[in-house]
Amino acid sequence: MVIIMNSYKLKIVTPEKIFFDGETEQITVRTTEGDIGILANHIKYVCNIVAGPLRVKQNSGDYREAALSEGILKVSDEGVTVLVSTAEWADEIDLERAEKAKQKAENILADQSRADEFGRAEIKLKRALARISVGKRYS
Amino acid sequence: MATANIKDVKRRIKSVENTMQITKAMELVATSKLRSAKERAVASQPYFNTLYETMCEIQQDRGFKSIYTKKEFLKTVLVVVLAGDRGLAGGFNHNVLKLAEEKIKSLEQDGRTVKVFPIGKKAVEYFEKRKYEIYNKDYQISDNLSMSKSLSLSESIITGFRNGIYDKVELIYTTFVSTLVQNAMSVTVLPIENNDLEHSEKDDAAKKEQKTSLTLYEPSAEEVFDGLIPKYISGLIFCSIIDSYASEQAARRTAMESASDNASEMIDSLSLLYNRARQAQITQELNEIVSGQMGNN
Repeated sequence: MVIIMNSYKLKIVTPEKIFFDGETEQITVRTTEGDIGILANHIKYVCNIVAGPLRVKQNSGDYREAALSEGILKVSDEGVTVLVSTAEWADEIDLERAEKAKQKAENILADQSRADEFGRAEIKLKRALARISVGKRYS
Repeated sequence: MATANIKDVKRRIKSVENTMQITKAMELVATSKLRSAKERAVASQPYFNTLYETMCEIQQDRGFKSIYTKKEFLKTVLVVVLAGDRGLAGGFNHNVLKLAEEKIKSLEQDGRTVKVFPIGKKAVEYFEKRKYEIYNKDYQISDNLSMSKSLSLSESIITGFRNGIYDKVELIYTTFVSTLVQNAMSVTVLPIENNDLEHSEKDDAAKKEQKTSLTLYEPSAEEVFDGLIPKYISGLIFCSIIDSYASEQAARRTAMESASDNASEMIDSLSLLYNRARQAQITQELNEIVSGQMGNN
């Protein structure tokens, strides 16, 4: 019998905790170049992640979804490491808070006199949008 | 005279006891806060280690320039000072503020303009009073700064750097060595020192080429690197905030411990005084009774 090694180690780390540490067969993340999926035996790879959804394939075959904020993804011989500022599983997302953050960021972006805050507001808006899109699908 | 003395001593004992209760409580609070600060520091370790590793790997891979490594004529310096919100922490606030002031003085002597970014109520008060040019005083509370707060804090520091408001960032904070020792220190946050990179470039160019072909960077190593740096900096700042917070709690704990010790010593000597006074009073009363009796006889 041939055993195909098609799962790999995935580690998702945020500054506050290790968000996920375990085996998976496939993940999908959003990078600056678009969505990518990573299977086992991927070549060494590093890319930037933008705020967006993350899908992790579970043993049962279905996907568990989380909202990530911007960060980096690194594929090495030991497995895949995802470094992000924040990460939440779909069922942990506080939609109300995300909506408020979205509103606040949009207000700043609409106000020309606060142009120096645009960069930060944009990051916050992206995070909020990622949370909302993931959270809505599960609520 | 003896009666008045007794009352006085009694009142003093009472007041020292009250103070001791407070210092004891503050000591306990600081101990538990210190524990949670240590836990946070441990929890954040894996993230920054991996971040740092990746950054070093990219640096080793290719030599390139980034706006975060630029070395300009450094005319304006932003000094970020991390202090506490409250006093009663021994020399904690004093040490870090003193170091900050020395640093600013030496920078000004070199002909640079200094902007101060105080974090924590004590730091804001200190620099406002001394009329320094303050860059931003939105962060009056350094107590238990959350991750998202420290992220937006570092984002604002990075934005200012990118927009050319200042071209050097110095961070002054207290590092936690042990429960008994905390040192105020200063580190350069930006621009990023590129010494390691140049070193490895000269040393093993062949090894470098081999490494370059191994890892795929998307869209490019430069862009990954530029995306990484803000995270590295916010990481650095987040770490030092935790570090400074732990130091504050440790300093407060030590200060309160010695205050409690002093209080109990004071109570001891005051009780001795009180007992003596009481004994003297009793002796005197007995004397009066006996001599009164003798007079009657």
